[in-house]
Amino acid sequence: MPPPNPVPVFRARALSRRYGRGDAEVRALDAIDLDVAAGEVVFVAGPSGSGKSTLLHLLGTLDRADSGTVEVEGRDIAALGERERALLRRERLGFVFQDFHLVPVLSALENVEYPLWIAGVGRRERRERAGALLAAVGLERRADHRPRELSGGERQRVAVARALVHRPAAILADEPTGNLDSATGRAVLAQLLALHREHGAALVVATHDAELLADAPRRVTLRDGRIAADERVGAPA
Amino acid sequence: MNPFPLALRNLTRNPRRTALSLAVVASGAAAIVLTAGFVRFSFDGLREAMIHGGLGHLEVAVAAEVGRRSGGTLDRAPSLGGWRELRAEIERLPRVAAVGANLHVMGLVQRADGAAVSFAGVGVEPDRERAMGFVTKLRAGVPLPASPPAAGADVAQLAVGLAESLGVDVGDSLTLLTARADGMLSALDVRVAGLFTTGVAELDTRLLKLPLASAMRLAETDEVSNLLVGLDDTRDTAAALAAVERLVAGRDPALAVTPWPERAPFYGQVRDLYLGIFAFLGSVVVLLVVLAASNTLVMTVFERLRELGTLRAIGTTPAQIVALLLAEALWLGALGGALGAALGALGVAGLNALDLRMPPPPGAVDPLDLRLAYVPEAMAGAALLMLAVLALAALVPILRVLRLRVVEALGHV
Repeated sequence: MPPPNPVPVFRARALSRRYGRGDAEVRALDAIDLDVAAGEVVFVAGPSGSGKSTLLHLLGTLDRADSGTVEVEGRDIAALGERERALLRRERLGFVFQDFHLVPVLSALENVEYPLWIAGVGRRERRERAGALLAAVGLERRADHRPRELSGGERQRVAVARALVHRPAAILADEPTGNLDSATGRAVLAQLLALHREHGAALVVATHDAELLADAPRRVTLRDGRIAADERVGAPA
Repeated sequence: MNPFPLALRNLTRNPRRTALSLAVVASGAAAIVLTAGFVRFSFDGLREAMIHGGLGHLEVAVAAEVGRRSGGTLDRAPSLGGWRELRAEIERLPRVAAVGANLHVMGLVQRADGAAVSFAGVGVEPDRERAMGFVTKLRAGVPLPASPPAAGADVAQLAVGLAESLGVDVGDSLTLLTARADGMLSALDVRVAGLFTTGVAELDTRLLKLPLASAMRLAETDEVSNLLVGLDDTRDTAAALAAVERLVAGRDPALAVTPWPERAPFYGQVRDLYLGIFAFLGSVVVLLVVLAASNTLVMTVFERLRELGTLRAIGTTPAQIVALLLAEALWLGALGGALGAALGALGVAGLNALDLRMPPPPGAVDPLDLRLAYVPEAMAGAALLMLAVLALAALVPILRVLRLRVVEALGHV
């Protein structure tokens, strides 16, 4: 077994993000310190408005902090321009969104292929890797279907496959079960965790679903933009 | 990453809006094709009407006379000697259909009762003019005789305005009076063989034509004012000009060869006017298409902000987003432009089939045929222009998307 990577996938220090100005200012995140190790699974819990999504956006280089730093695999993202951030996301990060966010004019297979397509991977390799991941989430028979022809659970499984197809160092999942019924949500999360174990990517899941949090190996609870608790229930998955 | 296949699929999201955009672009391209067809037909028609209305493709005259007179006038003095031999030499050149001699005479034309008005006359060779494809718009009577009339049997054709001011008609007798080179007056009795129009009202008030032999009898000269060279094809003008210039080089007195555009400043003025109108209309069309297409593209992009945010979130670079949106605009431009070019061609055929006429322009006599030319370069140009126009129209939505933060786009509803 290879030795654990001493450089965390994410390192946040004194991370703050505010919205609005003056009396209307809201501190979405307030001086957060957080490390996520390579291959680690972290569930970010907290009520709506506690800053879960903001934290994931900042870790995922989708937004810029007002103060503090974020490092992704040791790289300070504050120094990166839009193109460099896009390349970092394309190569090292995967995203799963609550609303699936699939491209409606692409088939399930093409949606999974998309990260490889923009990276310039050849068609044959794209098809093979995307096809294998679609099969892993049980959708090989739905490969040619457009998103509107898929159920919510199927769409999120396509999104999970898309998040993993380029072999990222970390996956950021923002309320991945939020638009699914509980059974489907559990099934999708189980698949996400299984694929995480297989691929070794770190996984950060934001959720306020208490049922999902029950088995979380590490649970970071946010309240009013601050870390209220950081609990390690067991060994990393 | 080749953005065009995905861009084409994106156009299928909202077929009605895509169809509307295509219609706007196609209308713009078709408008350009139709306008270009109208302008080209007008240019060609005016050019050929001037050339075959008596201008000829080339004029050969004594250089000093050309320098003394402004181009295109009908008052060159009889100064070209040895013209029959010169004409034979020019007619042997390739691309030359025929060469006709002209003798310009000016003076008074007098009715039997003594009433007189001034005239500008030109002695012509009707057989040569016919060989050059010259057309006289005869309103009454008969054409001038092909062979030179005998002395005492001279005839003339009067422009309709001149005949009207004199109050004469076909068959009436007139006396032409002119001043010879030595200052003495000379007279010639002619019978009105026919009435014609030049198509220009002002010219119609003073012009008359008579056979070259009659004009020579009137002016008592064997020299002519100039030789007019008619070509098989107007496009050969430059080549024929060079050939005739080589032929007459070094002659004494020096001869000048003048191509038709230099003798037809009116053509240049009309051309500049039409091109100005065309450029203005083209600019309006381009502006309308840019505004309409830009509006559509902005709507298209705004509806997809979340999706575009997602694409950026999963690693699509700003340049790739630009390429994708630009490709969508270029598809619209290419498809709309091609459709517009085809519709324009159909429109040309349709309008020509209707055989419409327009009122005479100011100063002209005859109504104009509303006909349009097929201008392949305008069709290709309109299609290409629509590509550029759509690329321009895409700037607004592209800049909007690039300014938007990814997280804002993701949260867009």
